[in-house]
Amino acid sequence: MTVAAASVVDSTPRPGLAERFDRHAGRFMVLPAVIVLLCFAIFPLIISAYLSLSRFALAPGGFTLKFVGLLNFRKLLTGSQQYHLLGKFMPFSPFAWALVTVTALVILYVLGRYLFSGRATVFGTIGRLITAALLMAIALLFAATTFSGGVPGTMVTTLIYVIAGVSAQFLLGLGIALLCAQAIRGRNFFRVLFFVPLMVTPVGIAYTFRMLADMQKGPFAPIVQAFHVGEWSWATEAWSARLMVMVGDTWQWTPFMFIVLLAAIENQPRDQVEAARIDGANGLQIFRDITWPAIAPVAATIVLIRLIEAFKIIDLPNVLTGGGPGLATESMTLHSFIAWRTQDLGGSAAVGYMLLFVSTIVCVSFFNFVVRPARRLES
Amino acid sequence: MTENRSLMQRLFEPTSLERQAPAAKAVTYALLFIWSLVVLVPLYWVFITSFKNEGDVANGPFYLPFIDFQPKSDAWRFMLLENNTLGPYLNSVVVALGSTALALLIGSLAAYALVRIRFRVKLAMVAIFLILLVAVIVSVVTFGLPWPIAVAVAVALFILALFTVGRRMKAALGNSDVEFWIISNRIMPPIVAVLPIYVMFQNLRLLDTQFALIITYTAVNLPIVVWLTRDFFAGIPLDLEESAEIDGASKLRVFFTIALPLVRSGLVATFLLILILAWNEYLLALFLTNADAQTMPVLVSAQNQTRGPQWWNMSVLIVVMIAPVVVIAALLQKHIARGLLVGAVKG
Amino acid sequence: MITKRMLAGVSALCLLGSMGVAQAAGEFDGVTVNVITQTGAIQEPLQRRAPDFEKLTGAKINVIAVPFSDLYQKVLTDWASGTNSVDVAVFAPQWMVDYIAGGYLEDLTARVENDPAIEQEDVGAFFRDFSEKYDGKVYMKTFDGDFHMMYYRKDLLEEAGLEVPKTWDDYLAVAKALHGKDMNGDGTPDFGSCIGKKRNAQSYWFVTDVVGSMTQSKGTSQGTFFNTADMTPMVDNEAFRKGLEFLKESTQYGPPDELNLDVADTRPLFASGRCALNLDWGDVGTISIDPVNSKVIGKWGAAIMPGSTQVLDWETGKLVDCDADTCPYAIDGVNHAPFAAFGGWGGGINAASDDKVKDAAFAFLSYMTQPAQSNQDVTVGATGFNPYRTSQLSYSELWKNAGMSEEEADNYLGAINASMSSPNMILDLRIPQNQRYQQVVLDEAISRFLAGEIDADATVAVVSEGWEELTDEIGRDDQLAIYKATIGAN
Repeated sequence: MTVAAASVVDSTPRPGLAERFDRHAGRFMVLPAVIVLLCFAIFPLIISAYLSLSRFALAPGGFTLKFVGLLNFRKLLTGSQQYHLLGKFMPFSPFAWALVTVTALVILYVLGRYLFSGRATVFGTIGRLITAALLMAIALLFAATTFSGGVPGTMVTTLIYVIAGVSAQFLLGLGIALLCAQAIRGRNFFRVLFFVPLMVTPVGIAYTFRMLADMQKGPFAPIVQAFHVGEWSWATEAWSARLMVMVGDTWQWTPFMFIVLLAAIENQPRDQVEAARIDGANGLQIFRDITWPAIAPVAATIVLIRLIEAFKIIDLPNVLTGGGPGLATESMTLHSFIAWRTQDLGGSAAVGYMLLFVSTIVCVSFFNFVVRPARRLES
Repeated sequence: MTENRSLMQRLFEPTSLERQAPAAKAVTYALLFIWSLVVLVPLYWVFITSFKNEGDVANGPFYLPFIDFQPKSDAWRFMLLENNTLGPYLNSVVVALGSTALALLIGSLAAYALVRIRFRVKLAMVAIFLILLVAVIVSVVTFGLPWPIAVAVAVALFILALFTVGRRMKAALGNSDVEFWIISNRIMPPIVAVLPIYVMFQNLRLLDTQFALIITYTAVNLPIVVWLTRDFFAGIPLDLEESAEIDGASKLRVFFTIALPLVRSGLVATFLLILILAWNEYLLALFLTNADAQTMPVLVSAQNQTRGPQWWNMSVLIVVMIAPVVVIAALLQKHIARGLLVGAVKG
Repeated sequence: MITKRMLAGVSALCLLGSMGVAQAAGEFDGVTVNVITQTGAIQEPLQRRAPDFEKLTGAKINVIAVPFSDLYQKVLTDWASGTNSVDVAVFAPQWMVDYIAGGYLEDLTARVENDPAIEQEDVGAFFRDFSEKYDGKVYMKTFDGDFHMMYYRKDLLEEAGLEVPKTWDDYLAVAKALHGKDMNGDGTPDFGSCIGKKRNAQSYWFVTDVVGSMTQSKGTSQGTFFNTADMTPMVDNEAFRKGLEFLKESTQYGPPDELNLDVADTRPLFASGRCALNLDWGDVGTISIDPVNSKVIGKWGAAIMPGSTQVLDWETGKLVDCDADTCPYAIDGVNHAPFAAFGGWGGGINAASDDKVKDAAFAFLSYMTQPAQSNQDVTVGATGFNPYRTSQLSYSELWKNAGMSEEEADNYLGAINASMSSPNMILDLRIPQNQRYQQVVLDEAISRFLAGEIDADATVAVVSEGWEELTDEIGRDDQLAIYKATIGAN
């Protein structure tokens, strides 16, 4: 009895300083991260917003910032810089019409299904409308420039890098991971070896590929001469130049996909695989029914991570071709960088913001409509 | 009893459940070999270029040292002995290790809190905070109001609002929203933030210092740390922590003594990934440093001069940059796979 | 054999050299001067001579080097934001205008006048009167003479019986005739003309080489970029269109990836014997005599930039033939307008530095530019410094030690002299934000034109509208006044 009474007395907490700290521990633990992000993300973001709405000029004693409203954005979207950001538009070709119509139909179908599913919410609808609007805009942009004989601007080029590049990296990474996941010797050796490209600094990779792609004195020059294509240079045509940039980018980032996917494949439920094999399923069936559902959430997540990074590409186009030929390889970050280099701070911030808008909508949409469902697939 | 298998059967049928058919195995090894070549050729080229000079490079591709061309140690001697490469190298080491450690600490702390503790951030307060922030910035930049005054007024207003409006409004953001906000900061392209950060450091007289780079990289990599470690923490069972708390340990103690050790391999994987990102970062280093705090990627780029890219010097730098990271990765490679996997699975 | 005369000469030189800095010995103890410039060439001589200067005067020179493409912004940001960690910037005179607009550069006129050791009279007239000055005042001390020249393979031209090109049409004809021949004996076909046409590099200077030879014929003060009456760009005319045509046609006789080559790529190409003709700065000369890496020793020549027998009538926008009226400075009926592209690296001082630091900084600039140091540096390719003083243009022991034969020197230095002393030299565009005019608008338009994205008319329109837009944005009257002030027009 006395013991119980004593313990009751002893376990009554007395509020001390440590106790009070512990009660608010949550806030204190998150605080450093929040402060750092406020200083280095939110604060600069607002200042950049202000910069994008003004014009910078040097003046005796410092500089002046004149508020000009949406002038910079207007110049980029509808004014004299439209060819730079969006591209040169041409009347739609039949293929372009087809693309636009198909996209519109798909969007309407998906939206309609959602709205009539009975589970629609306000936020959900708004989110889907924003995604739909961006998808439509991107389709129109592609239709008017690339597919109609027009000239794509930096936004289109950046989207090409993102979509084609990340897809290639994912497929290659998946393929190599599947190969490595077979019962082979030296898997760990391959794991380390294939990881190395990720460790080279992007600027270094850019210069390396410039060396490699040199048709006169690079290592592939004799092969090129042998095929009598020595007279042609990849750097003089838009698509081959873009391809070269993507080759460098893929070389560097496929390892990232490979490493994670390999680990995921290694982690798939072995018993299910063995049972399937005993039942006589072939490789393709095993992949479709067991492996893919197991790795889908991981795959979705790393594709998202890579998407976020891919929008920021600058080192490769800058070093390989300086953004040329013409505007062919210039990404939006490079566009912003060049503007900054020549004192056009307002324009530079405006392009940066456009990039932020596009990449945010794309990444958030991808997260909501691909990553979340993939996770649900697993559970 | 073994059956007689035809050639085709022997080639294309697997001999057991675990193993592949010989043909398939050959194809697998062949494909892996091809990809190994793809990975190794550029690296090999960089390596031998570091032993060449201008003539060797300009006069066409030479593939084999001692056979096609004479390897020269000129570039190595120049970059390692005559040129000031040690300075940027040390800067890179300090900045990369420092920012990675700091990011891991702050990030994992925040991630743990977001997983274990329930937050409710009032929407109204967030809105008021943003409005006040914009007001401070506009007033300082446009109207020339001295910033201490503007900040003081804003803080006072915020606290006032906290106790009045804040109490009334109920709508709040939860843990997943805070997480989302933290992680979404990664989407922001650095080019948008660079100039304001430059001006901020300039006002604090911290330009061209290692400290400025360390804290900037921490901020840039924090979202990834939170993203990955959050899942590690979500994966560990509650009971150990709960029993520790009942025994009277503070949340902080639980974090450091129980939670962190349990997610060790995840932390190692994250450490390596962030280290690589910080080690190789170029744009921010370019803007924020001059000579004192210059890092290796900027030094690599500086080898591109009006005389032409000094390929040999550049190659030395690239090799010197990759070497330590490869060593670290080889030592930690077991953890990478396991750790990244755990984090990524739960998403 | 050392003659008495040689000994006297050498000792006189030493005396002169030491006189220049004798008075400054120990004067600047404890003073540190931060000098910023680009990595590699230009950094090299500054860094090499800094310890000598410290021994002479006690001032510590701290050389900071950044990649070339970032130098302009770094200096500007440092001075505009008030950081002022840079005391001396060694930069391109083109950027001077932006720095002066912000009041960041120190006026050096009085200092230069009071420093006889610099020997201003020896400095080439163009650099002394145009490059270093703005609005009549000296803001920069020249270390390097930058202008474009044409280089050619003497042996190939002789073999084919061709004359050294004097006009752009000649140039194309020679390039066409020699393109595809094996010029360095390795069995692969080589190129008639190598010009660096890469985007965001130097291509926008080469277009002015061609256009300017038709647009400017009446002297530097006529200018070639804008109409001095109302700041209309001199773009929508036959001269500019002909310039575009030249660029496009010369690409046919060049390397297949010429559109991705900058001067850093074309120089080794010429030095390894793969180009018959080449347009570039003076560096090709010093690179071509490099005994280790050059394959064209004794086979190369340099000449003044080709010109044109037709010049632009500014009123009508059409090309007219050259005569005594239209081309007062024509040589053999051809109007040459050598382009001082980039202007030549020079040093300027931060107006916000301490007075003592400024004094030490100026003493260092003076030291670097004095003949004793400068004449040696311009003979070495690795320094990035090219001749800009008259005394550097005669064949001397220094050139011989650098590996140049007397014949090569006569030819090379003669070409430099012809360019430098031309009264019709083109001054680089120096109005505020000239980078946007040239790098953003012109360079991009040329690149798109060469890539086939737009045709000649569209290019003319893009450049014209782009420049007009910039002028309106920045302020037409101000830009006009400054433009006229830089070229000395009235």
